[in-house]
Amino acid sequence: MNTKILILICAVGVMMTSCKKFLEITPETSLSSATFFVKEADFQQAVNGAYVPLRSIFNDRAWILGEMHSDNTYYPRNVLFGAVDPTENVADFALPVSNGTTTNTNVLNQYRLDYQIIARVNQILATIDKINFDPNSKSNLRGQSFFLRAFAYFELVRYFGKAPMHLTPVANRSEATADLATTEQLYSQIEDDAKQAAQLLPLKSVQEPGRATSGSAKTLLGNLYIVQKRWADAAAILKEVFDSHEYSLMPDYNDAFSYTNSNKNNAESVFEIQYQEGASGYNGSLIYNFLPRPMTSAELQPITQTSNPQSLSGEGNNIPTPDIIAAYEANDKRKDISIGYVTLSQSLRANKVYPYIKKFARPHAQHGNTGNNWPVYRYSEVLLFLAEALNEQGKTNDAKEYINLVRKRAGLGDTPAANKEDMRTAIYNERRVELAFENKRWFDLVRTDRIEEVIVPYGNRIKSNPLNYYYPDGVNPPSNAFTNLDKYYGLPADEASLSPYF
Amino acid sequence: MLFRREISLKRSQWILLVVMIFFSVRLFSQDKKVSGTVTDAGTSVGLPGVTVNVKGTKLTTQTDEKGNYFITPGKGKVLVFSFVGYEQQELNIDNRSSINVSMTVDAKGLGEVVVVGYGSQLKRNVTGAVQTISESEIKDLPVSTVAQKLQGRLAGVQINQTTGKPGQGMSVRIRGQVSVSAGSDPLYVIDGFPITGNINNLNPDEIESISILKDAASTSLYGSRAANGVVLISTKKGKPGQTNIGINTYAGLQQVPMRGRIKMMNAEEFAEFKKEYYEDAGQPVPVEFQNPADYRNKNNDWYNALLRKAGLQSYNLTITSNTDKLSTALVGGILNQDGVVLNNTYKRYSLRMNMEYKIAKNLKIGFNIAPSYVFDNTPRTDGDRGTGILFNALHTWPVMPIYDDNGELTLYNKFPGSTGNIFNYPNWVRAADELVNETKTNTLIGNAFVQYSPIKGLTLKSTYNIENTNSKFFFFNPSTATSAINVPVPTTAVSIRQDMQAQSWLNENLVTYSRSFGEHNFELLAGFTNQRFRYQSARIQADTYSDDRLPTIQGALNINRSGSNTSSDAQEWSLTSYLSRLTYNFKGRYLLTAAVRSDGSSRFGNNNRWGVFPSASLGWVVSDENFMQHLKAVSFAKFRASYGLIGNNNIGNYTQYALVNNTVNAVFGNTVASGAVVTSLANPNLGWETTKQFDFGLDLGLFENRIQFNYDFYTKRTTNLLYSVQVAQESGFSNFNDNIGEIKFWGHEFSLTTLNTVGKFRWTTSANISFNRNKVMALADGIDRVYGTFHITQVGKPFGQFYGLIAEGVYLNQQDLDKNPSIPGRSTVGSIKIKDVNGDGVITYGGDKDDRTIIGSPFPKFIYGIVNNLEYKNWDFSIAGSGSYGNQLLIRHLYSTANLDGVFNLVEGVKYRFRSVDNPGKGFYGTTVGGGNVTGVERDWMNSRFIADASFFTIKNVTLGYNVGIKSKAIKSIRIYGSVQQLYTFTKYWGGPNPETSAQSNGQGDGGNLSQGVDLSNYPVPRTFTLGVNLNF
Repeated sequence: MNTKILILICAVGVMMTSCKKFLEITPETSLSSATFFVKEADFQQAVNGAYVPLRSIFNDRAWILGEMHSDNTYYPRNVLFGAVDPTENVADFALPVSNGTTTNTNVLNQYRLDYQIIARVNQILATIDKINFDPNSKSNLRGQSFFLRAFAYFELVRYFGKAPMHLTPVANRSEATADLATTEQLYSQIEDDAKQAAQLLPLKSVQEPGRATSGSAKTLLGNLYIVQKRWADAAAILKEVFDSHEYSLMPDYNDAFSYTNSNKNNAESVFEIQYQEGASGYNGSLIYNFLPRPMTSAELQPITQTSNPQSLSGEGNNIPTPDIIAAYEANDKRKDISIGYVTLSQSLRANKVYPYIKKFARPHAQHGNTGNNWPVYRYSEVLLFLAEALNEQGKTNDAKEYINLVRKRAGLGDTPAANKEDMRTAIYNERRVELAFENKRWFDLVRTDRIEEVIVPYGNRIKSNPLNYYYPDGVNPPSNAFTNLDKYYGLPADEASLSPYF
Repeated sequence: MLFRREISLKRSQWILLVVMIFFSVRLFSQDKKVSGTVTDAGTSVGLPGVTVNVKGTKLTTQTDEKGNYFITPGKGKVLVFSFVGYEQQELNIDNRSSINVSMTVDAKGLGEVVVVGYGSQLKRNVTGAVQTISESEIKDLPVSTVAQKLQGRLAGVQINQTTGKPGQGMSVRIRGQVSVSAGSDPLYVIDGFPITGNINNLNPDEIESISILKDAASTSLYGSRAANGVVLISTKKGKPGQTNIGINTYAGLQQVPMRGRIKMMNAEEFAEFKKEYYEDAGQPVPVEFQNPADYRNKNNDWYNALLRKAGLQSYNLTITSNTDKLSTALVGGILNQDGVVLNNTYKRYSLRMNMEYKIAKNLKIGFNIAPSYVFDNTPRTDGDRGTGILFNALHTWPVMPIYDDNGELTLYNKFPGSTGNIFNYPNWVRAADELVNETKTNTLIGNAFVQYSPIKGLTLKSTYNIENTNSKFFFFNPSTATSAINVPVPTTAVSIRQDMQAQSWLNENLVTYSRSFGEHNFELLAGFTNQRFRYQSARIQADTYSDDRLPTIQGALNINRSGSNTSSDAQEWSLTSYLSRLTYNFKGRYLLTAAVRSDGSSRFGNNNRWGVFPSASLGWVVSDENFMQHLKAVSFAKFRASYGLIGNNNIGNYTQYALVNNTVNAVFGNTVASGAVVTSLANPNLGWETTKQFDFGLDLGLFENRIQFNYDFYTKRTTNLLYSVQVAQESGFSNFNDNIGEIKFWGHEFSLTTLNTVGKFRWTTSANISFNRNKVMALADGIDRVYGTFHITQVGKPFGQFYGLIAEGVYLNQQDLDKNPSIPGRSTVGSIKIKDVNGDGVITYGGDKDDRTIIGSPFPKFIYGIVNNLEYKNWDFSIAGSGSYGNQLLIRHLYSTANLDGVFNLVEGVKYRFRSVDNPGKGFYGTTVGGGNVTGVERDWMNSRFIADASFFTIKNVTLGYNVGIKSKAIKSIRIYGSVQQLYTFTKYWGGPNPETSAQSNGQGDGGNLSQGVDLSNYPVPRTFTLGVNLNF
């Protein structure tokens, strides 16, 4: 009997030692944090995954918050479509704000998508140094990660002025929220990240097309300095991009923008958002977001040239205003490349002709499924940034060289501006038309403190003459239009309810 | 070595014994006879039908009508007298030729031994809340599942048949158990083996007894799986001294009662409605409805067309035998049940072989094996509009023909758009008949044990258990039919194949030691167990067939890979436990039990692997005290109290891990680059739900135990509820799986068993009633409510309440509309009038100014059951019923069947809707004028019109049996009986035939945690008439 009990005790002992392993069961049909982030390929995939929210940001949100929230574009009111759209509120400068927060869904989604990028990057940066693999590959992956985090925080700081700052992965509920970082704190972090990225990333010529490059990071850094009015720093870093000889203007302005399957990441492209046409879900639907409605399939077909055009109902968005149309100088080639016109037979307006953004309307195969990329930074903007940074330092003559490069391609003569003030105005207007509909206008108005100067008269024009702004006869803008000219969007209310910090 | 020799030596005996079992060899001896009379101790009346057995042999007889018997005991020395409801007696023959016996009532045998967790106990010594049901109490009920047999018989256990699908849909909730997102089903333990599935496919004839463990003291040895209560099932074993061959068979007919079927409009009434609809709106009446009388006698009752009378047959063979060394039980069963919905079949073939073999005096081995095969084909009957064909049929226009002019089933029906017909209605009879939706399941449960008692009182036992389930699911939707609404027919043919395998094994090693020191009695149990479960499945969905006759995978043009349509899955968990229990009593009067189990589980977070679950209970048999002795009326009285900690580990297998999705791909240039992202937050601290339960009980026996009364009061506090808490998305994530909140439960349970008369006419009554309550004490920080489908779970309120607006009739006229709050732009004269709960003058649904409030509860105020058994001479009669009071159901199908736009067929009550100020109807249904803007409020804004009282009492079973008095050496007894199951339901519920229903919109399972009590017109529960025979050899 004693031996048997002994055996039993031994057996129990053996069981106990193997117990820990017995209780360790990880999911088999799904990768988990317990099994991921252990080799180079995992980090490559993780970095790729960190780019993904950009597709949605630029297809669905950025043009609402960055372009329609300015005097460049507006929505063509379709009274057959009843609901008050949160998008209208953005275009009408009528965002509801309470305690510094807003319920607007565009704001909410933009915010969440930026933090998706940040969380994904934080996960990579927290673990990548623990795993050994090819140092070049690791630098490239880290560089892309830093770039993406800088990019996301730069969006947040420009939209909101302040935002929670997360630099390490969230591990539990209490870490899920963080205190709001100030504008200066965010600037400082973006600068650090962008500098790291600029140092770690390869030149465009050796980087896989479409990924962030040292040029992308330096341009982002230059953009930050310009927002901060650190003109000398901006000029220095942007000059590095200029001197790298990695970029040039496409001879034809129309070719600066990608087609559905070609001309992507061209010589002028510094950073662009990548889409792919097809059924796999990597496509955009850009132009469909930018067309006036109701539109019949016959009216649509010449614009999209698809085999299966379908009619568009609801309310269109991002329609060029008379203001932007008037901003082009005579003979500016960019005007007809950027803006086209379409006649809507079902429109309730007397004038059934509507402008639309033509430079993003590229022929494609299937209705609602586009593959052209979105330009975030083009070389022409590097040139205009450089011009601005120099001019603001009083180097107006040096600035001329760069602005004239841009004007020349547009078929225009040299700028007549001769002094700093005139040059400033010239650069502002050049940016407006060169970068029209590229989500630059609102950020430009904010950073140059021109909201009051530009938006107030713009609002008055819409209210006094709604017909010119695509309202049907007898329909007026909402009564609260142009009542909220805040420099920053309110933080999303849904997020505020989950955070003790705002 | 020793072990093996023992077995080989006995092989010849084995064979002999098996031969004996099957041929029932009977040996008679020609020694002298013993005779006598058996009487009731209370009344001195002779007791007929008492079993008299010569101990240790198969020699058995029964007393006659006057209580007389005679028997030839051969070499036997002891007679055993047993009779249901009386205490068994054993008397030495001592060469006597006449032995008279006076038997005392043991209405619910306190001398009885009951199965408890990890052992058994004398019933009088039990200190926890345990209720036991024996096989004989439930043997005649002609139902396919065990849980159906238990309805109404258990105090504190709510058993609802949520759907009438054979072999499915039983919801068992012990002590009002609910959870936000974890499972609430009790743990089922078969012969000591906690199974991982349910007991739907278990042949009830295999069962000897069922113990329901309700309080923490009795369940805590099941640790992290105990919080939902435990159901212990013991299967049949050979009874000492008898070899018995029993054949139980019955055949029956099932039919859905007319009462309770929803009264819908017939074709003429519907046409009249449509006519009025257009007239009231001032529009021309479509030609199809200008003359409703045209549809007289041309009604198409789509719902009834899906129902049929269906047969039911069951055959069971039970053989039990017990000799010195070997005890065996064999149960073989065949159940063949057609469902009352067309093309519904449920077949079960099951076998169980239980054996125990004494190798030596102190060494025993046992071996159980139970294979079963279940075939089930059930049309897609249940679920929301577009999913369940019963719902679909209910609201299909009765003017649409089921059969065409040639008598063929129509393919589908669609009226011109001008009639307001916006949906295609496929033919639901075809959907039932032509769709294949079958599951074939093979299950094998096996147990083996070795038990060794080296010294007196010490037992070492090792058990090895395995549960293996293989199932094959096949679905085929041919091109000619569909269960979905608004799908054009012919449609795309689709096939789904899913193979599933689940396996669980358990090893338990237990040591028990019992010893008495004087009148101090101890028993100590210690054990160590390991269990592991693995599930894997593979599913292929294919579509677009060129020929419906070849639904092969290769016959499909397309494999549907979207989502998880074509996928494989694997689920696994492991559990390691240590357990220990001390049972002590002094003089059998003062009782103490203390137990603890420690569970380590792969499901728990890496930082929180082990949970400890202790409990303690006390009992005092006060009737044994001297001061009670003069109270002759009190035969037995015991107070019980217990407290303990138990857990619920139904939190999912991998919930603690952060999952990585590796299909979040990026594009660079024109190249796709595979991407991976972490999609959820890990929680290495994730754990079980914890329940602390207190129980106080009283067991009372009066008048020689002819009246037995049990009472239990309990309180439970469940904390650490599994919940996916919303987190700020600045984290990059939307939710975090955490243990949060607290729910308090409490309740009272009463049960009463009385032996009303004894003797020739014997009448017993058992009744129980239970009151279960709960209250949500806390949810996560900053969260005071969680919503279900139409439900709210709110701090300070009971769990899972119906949530919506309060309907107050309709606006009868302009003045009524002007004077009362309304919905701007939507309310009109004749539209639904809603209570302005927040008093802001405007009716609002959702948002900050919400007028919704709690409008009902799916939880009853009390549940109850009553069983009466009567015996007279050779006749026996029983009637059993169960009921529920104070609960409501949400009649969800009204969003279609009372859709005032006339898109669907309507419940008859809509005839009495508001039509004009002068013709306001019954004030329930509103005006049809104004279209969806007006009628949509009534339909889409959940309100109290959808809520109906679902209190009910159902006569579950009535059985009348007759013992054919055959005196034959070959046949011990023949009993024939007739029974009616689901005889009648007393209820005011008007939303459908089944007041026990609770449904999910996908037609799978009952309402689930936060959203219980929704009626979607699920499969009705049939009434079943059966005739049966019990033969014993």
